[in-house]
Amino acid sequence: MPVIDVNGLKINYLRIDGQSDTGPRPVAVFVHGLGTDSLASFYLTLAAPVSMAGIDVVAYDLRGHGRTDQPPDGYTIGHFTSDLTGLLDALGIERPVHLVGNSFGGTLAFALAVTCPERVASVVSLESEPPTQAWADRLRSTLAYVKRDLAREDTYLWLASTFGAHHARLSRTAYQRLSATTMAEEIPDGPLLELEDLDRLTCPVLSIIGDEGFQADDPYLLQALLPDCRTVIIDGQDHSVLVEAHREVRRLVIDWVLEHHLTGDATADVTAVTAVTEGAPTGADAG
Amino acid sequence: MNAPTTTAATLTPTLTPTHPARVLDDVAQMIVRILGTCDLEDLGIGMETSFHDDLEMESIDLVTLAGMLTGEYGADVNLAEFLADKDLDEVIDLTIGDIVDFVVSRTGR
Repeated sequence: MPVIDVNGLKINYLRIDGQSDTGPRPVAVFVHGLGTDSLASFYLTLAAPVSMAGIDVVAYDLRGHGRTDQPPDGYTIGHFTSDLTGLLDALGIERPVHLVGNSFGGTLAFALAVTCPERVASVVSLESEPPTQAWADRLRSTLAYVKRDLAREDTYLWLASTFGAHHARLSRTAYQRLSATTMAEEIPDGPLLELEDLDRLTCPVLSIIGDEGFQADDPYLLQALLPDCRTVIIDGQDHSVLVEAHREVRRLVIDWVLEHHLTGDATADVTAVTAVTEGAPTGADAG
Repeated sequence: MNAPTTTAATLTPTLTPTHPARVLDDVAQMIVRILGTCDLEDLGIGMETSFHDDLEMESIDLVTLAGMLTGEYGADVNLAEFLADKDLDEVIDLTIGDIVDFVVSRTGR
């Protein structure tokens, strides 16, 4: 896999050109989650079908994950979003991209959509929320609990007997990442967004959640908080909606990006905005 | 399918590049390169060997293998496309034989 220097790190990434020759293609950037995750979860599910739908695909391993370098510290949300813009710069991608973020990856997408709105055409959030204080409080306690639990060898025996050897190995990988770095302590530090900051998150957002996932108690919270958010709830799914319901997620992502590619092109040309957006679908009308 | 049941331990230079036994040897060599420190004989890679449970490879290793397969056999051997149609359990249970059969089917033996 190719690597590229960004912020002093070697970032492992993949770039797959979309299979379409008509006009500038939309770019989807896949941002994976925390701990056990890597670009593989997107590579194994969405990368090929999304590129075959005519969308350029970029996927990369976050710092400390997969095959990207793992510095001992430097894990604030600011570090992660700086890596993302640095990667786009290094790859020469100047036009706004559609960020597809899984769990923590979606949190990073929301952060970038507020701090660098000119880089983000839309956000597809898979079981994610913006980096608010409430999010940070939950994450901090969860990571502390996980780090403490995974330090005990009998935890892996229990994981293996309950969920299988594969799950136990993934957990060991997560523990290695958490114990070798300061990410469990630094990530919840943010920088966080205040609720009023979310008013500046004006790009279209598609929130895909499982009905048994992290947002099961309040599935339309994001839609209430964000200016332009559409929610899709997938039945029978928990937090692992990307890998467990990838066919459904794939269809939603392809339709979303192609729909908003048309709208996104229009915003580049002021004279075309009126003509296109009058008939173009927006996220505001969806439930 | 005439899938061989022997393990990949020796190169089979007399076979065509896309013969299953030859592909098995090539895939086994790629895995040795990915795992870095392991010796091919010690791994005892065969058609039934599983990536995750037997070789303890991670999903990210499959992405590396995908790049190697495309480099060796061409763009038609697109592992991402092949795996995108599988369920999570099928990916976790993936065997070397699944990969060999896929390569053979795409290279038009």
